[in-house]
Amino acid sequence: MAEVKKPPRVNLRQIDKIIAGYRGRKWALIPLTQAIQEQVGYIPKEVIPRIAAALGLFPAQVQGVITFYAQLYTEPRGKNIVRVCRGTACHVRGGKSILKLVRQYLDLEEGETSPDMEYTLETVACIGVCALAPNLMVNKETHGNMNPKKIARLFGGRVKE
Amino acid sequence: MEAITITLNGVEVSGYAGMTILDLARESGVYIPTLCHDPNLASTGACRLCLVEDEPSGALHASCVAPIAPGMVINTHSPRVVAHRKAILKLMLASHPDSCLVCDKGNRCQLRQLASDMGIGLVEFQRIPQPGVIEEVNPFIQRDLSKCIMCGKCIRADQEMVVVGAIDYIHRGSAVRPTTLNDVPLEKSECTFCGTCVAICPTGAIMEKEKAYTGTATSTVDTVCPYCGCGCNLNLGVRDGLVVRVRPSAPSPVNRGTLCVRGSYGYDFIHSPERLRRPLVRVDGELQETTWEDALQQAAAGLQKVVEKSGPESLAVFGSPRCTNEENYLLQRLARCVLGTNSVDNGSRLYSAASRIGLGATIGYAGTTGFLEVLERSRVIMVIGANPEVSAPLVDYTVKQAVRFKGARLCVIDPCRTRLTGFASLWLRPRIGTDIALLNGLARIIIDEKKLDVEFVTRRTDNYAPWARSLQKYTPDYVEKVTGVPGQDIRAAARLFADAEEASIVYGNGITLHADGTSAVIALANLAMLTGNIGRNGGIFALQRECNAHGACDMGTLPNFLPGYQLVDDARARQKFEEKWGCRMPEGAGLNALEMLAPGSRVRGMFITGENPAVSFPQPARVKEALASLDCLVVADMFLTETARLAAVVLPSASFAEKEGTFTSFEGRVQRLRRAIPPVGESLPDGGIIQRLAEALGVPMPYTSYQQITDEIEEIVPFYQHTAFKNAGDGELELTDIEKGLFGTRRLHKGLFPSGFGRFTPVEQLTPTDVAKDGYPLTLLAGTVLFQFGTGSRSRRTSRLGRFRSEAFLEIGGADAKSYRIKDGDAVVITSEKGRLDTTARISDALPPGVLFMPISFPESPVYELFATSLNHQARAPALKSCAVKLERTTANG
Ligand code: SF4
Ligand code: SF4
Ligand code: SF4
Ligand code: FES
Ligand code: FES
Repeated sequence: MAEVKKPPRVNLRQIDKIIAGYRGRKWALIPLTQAIQEQVGYIPKEVIPRIAAALGLFPAQVQGVITFYAQLYTEPRGKNIVRVCRGTACHVRGGKSILKLVRQYLDLEEGETSPDMEYTLETVACIGVCALAPNLMVNKETHGNMNPKKIARLFGGRVKE
Repeated sequence: MEAITITLNGVEVSGYAGMTILDLARESGVYIPTLCHDPNLASTGACRLCLVEDEPSGALHASCVAPIAPGMVINTHSPRVVAHRKAILKLMLASHPDSCLVCDKGNRCQLRQLASDMGIGLVEFQRIPQPGVIEEVNPFIQRDLSKCIMCGKCIRADQEMVVVGAIDYIHRGSAVRPTTLNDVPLEKSECTFCGTCVAICPTGAIMEKEKAYTGTATSTVDTVCPYCGCGCNLNLGVRDGLVVRVRPSAPSPVNRGTLCVRGSYGYDFIHSPERLRRPLVRVDGELQETTWEDALQQAAAGLQKVVEKSGPESLAVFGSPRCTNEENYLLQRLARCVLGTNSVDNGSRLYSAASRIGLGATIGYAGTTGFLEVLERSRVIMVIGANPEVSAPLVDYTVKQAVRFKGARLCVIDPCRTRLTGFASLWLRPRIGTDIALLNGLARIIIDEKKLDVEFVTRRTDNYAPWARSLQKYTPDYVEKVTGVPGQDIRAAARLFADAEEASIVYGNGITLHADGTSAVIALANLAMLTGNIGRNGGIFALQRECNAHGACDMGTLPNFLPGYQLVDDARARQKFEEKWGCRMPEGAGLNALEMLAPGSRVRGMFITGENPAVSFPQPARVKEALASLDCLVVADMFLTETARLAAVVLPSASFAEKEGTFTSFEGRVQRLRRAIPPVGESLPDGGIIQRLAEALGVPMPYTSYQQITDEIEEIVPFYQHTAFKNAGDGELELTDIEKGLFGTRRLHKGLFPSGFGRFTPVEQLTPTDVAKDGYPLTLLAGTVLFQFGTGSRSRRTSRLGRFRSEAFLEIGGADAKSYRIKDGDAVVITSEKGRLDTTARISDALPPGVLFMPISFPESPVYELFATSLNHQARAPALKSCAVKLERTTANG
């Protein structure tokens, strides 16, 4: 079994430094959260009150915005992001079973990250390469014409003995 | 303003630019259904239910946001509009659970009402699964967001009206819902349980919990909140003679749709089983129920015996800022004309005397100088020695609105962190008891930097030069040494305040309850005059703890003043009242409340209404002894308080919901109470009790209705000449009537002081006496908490308030806790020179090192046992804010 690493500790000092650059500017919420996500990988829940205080907003307001945008994350994410396509074309060509298999291999539900921080599983609406359906992406790389064999090749190493 | 004419359902109507179609329709009496609109909120057009059709263009407008435009031909109920509206409602109902029949919101649910109005029953859309009820253990509010229609009103109420920010939308798409940070239950969030979102939610998604009496109110009555001095207008819902719910009054210009937790959920005490229902008299040492006749006779006989034995000056009367103006007026008449004593006082002396004297000496008017609108539009607000979140929530909302939505800058001067410090641009933390040095220092910088309002100072004030000279020693360096506030912060605060077009000062008990509170009030009045911030521009806002503290003093329930602050020693004033009342009045000021109960006092008999000195005075044990040793003690109260237990005769009083009269709010609004239910049991309003007692004493008072008393007050008390409620009838109080009810402020609005001039008065910082000293290294602050009120005689009998966060505690800062090796929940003992107290420690990040906090509302840990009766010098009221203590841990730490 893969060694379980603790999720990295939040480096508040680093985040406070980022926040300081936006202090007092209410409109800056989106750029600020993006900046944090870029440097830290996600927006730790515990910094929401700090963001709010710096921008003169309520913490609940900040949470509202962060949870509204699919691209902003409040949980740490794995080194590798697996996105299985659930668009129509992929669905028609068996995308559902592909997702099921990937879930089994990675032992993850949608939106979850493995305890060793290696993988995060997500689904997307359409990757834009429907001709190759069913598709999935690992990080920035697209894998088309997926079948059980290919999935085993990609994720077989993750199966628990 | 240009009139704009449109055609509305075939009729020509005109409005002005900026009006929405909905505004104009409402004004013209045309009904348009709405769900997300509220007159106290900016419209967002979220629900689309208010659609109307503009015939020429065929456009559908959301009428709550669409402004009127010339030439519009609006149809509010065309078949197309109605079809759209039905479709919208059906969609809402599709994601709504089928629980209408058992939903507590019942007939108050606007969604259900609209559905039945439009004849919508079973919905043919497929049901959308929704999140269910949230587990919440607080006793006030429950949420079932499956009933939410996403109108967003609760969020806007929370963020824009009370500016708490506890809730907002979370997630998106079908998972979206209004909830707290991290979706925790309300009691774990920032929520203050003000109930504003509950009142505004159009569905059963957010509802009042644990109502003592269920059922929909069958009638409603508008009246005034009986707790703090903000004077919020309440709407009481009544069913079968019981008050079943409270909401903010709809058309109130005072609280504009908001309340705090005490106003919303603090009404349970009205029907508390502990209410006294019959008079009690002491028989063989025990209080026993009896008839009114018997009780009154015994009370009268007891008081008369004292007069025979020791003369009328050995009688004293102690009244309450919780009683109406009319009752206070009667009470002091009873004291002066029936009992023949000037020893009459009221419970607000403890905390308002410093304001009365300090402001009286400087600006010549003993109260708040403007309305909340003035505060709201101030460019700079200075909050000093006050935590309005607790003591005056409506002021807290106003300050936060000004900062968050109107761009005001806030300077908080407080050693402790409060919710307001989070809104402040500048937070100064002076050592306790050094406010005068700080305020003088600010004034000096303003003078040195020539930032004073020269015109105002020369034309409207006098004594400037001697006062300015008295500030010599308060240089920034000196002030930094005394207060511990860095010189640069002092300079920044001075500039902030002086540069503002309009600046206001809000102060409270943190100023007035200190030993030199009167001087501190003078110092801040000097500062306000120096910058011309009195009256039209900015003002001074003196927070008032009790609902009618202002009125009780205005009515002359004071030992040295007749109604309207006419001196007892003024023979002409006395004569005026003597002629009016047909009696002889005693000369010379009487004893104040503390002197009445001091050791060796000449007082042998007392009549106390609605006050509980056995808990609220310093050294309660000794006060109890004094009360118990009186020859005759008559108490009128709703409950068998610690004081009532010591009485020979106890008369049951009616609550605010059971009487008529007026309260004067801290803004100076004279507002009318209306009777919602008959008195509980055999209780009577205090006014009735006073009259019957006068009758039993053989000197009846000639009033047959409270209205006659109001009229007499209007006739005889300066400032109250315009209260004129008689024209208001029984219906809604007209806005104009409320405006007429204002006094004092009006003169100040013209920029004039009542005396013509404001007077600068030098005050010096003395070495504070009520702070840490040798042997007692810590300073204990005493104060109130939001979920209790005053000494708690009502709030603790209000089952929901009583249970929520109900234990007494001592707050201690993290650093102190560490050095005393105290953990959260440890048992500790605090000792002062005067007494000792066992309690439980709670660690808080709000306190600076060396400072402890303890609430006063818990009789089982009477914090005032630790306080001396040392009187605030000028105001002759006790210093009850802080004292020197030492602390020990009594839990054995492993
Ligand atoms: S909880 Fe009530 S007020 Fe809030 S969005 Fe839902 S329906 Fe509107
Ligand atoms: S009760 Fe008051 S503080 Fe709590 S969420 Fe509702 S509006 Fe906000
Ligand atoms: S702010 Fe004061 S007056 Fe208003 S509801 Fe609360 S206690 Fe009552
Ligand atoms: S549907 Fe899967 S890539 Fe378009
Ligand atoms: S009431 Fe106008 S959009 Fe909701």
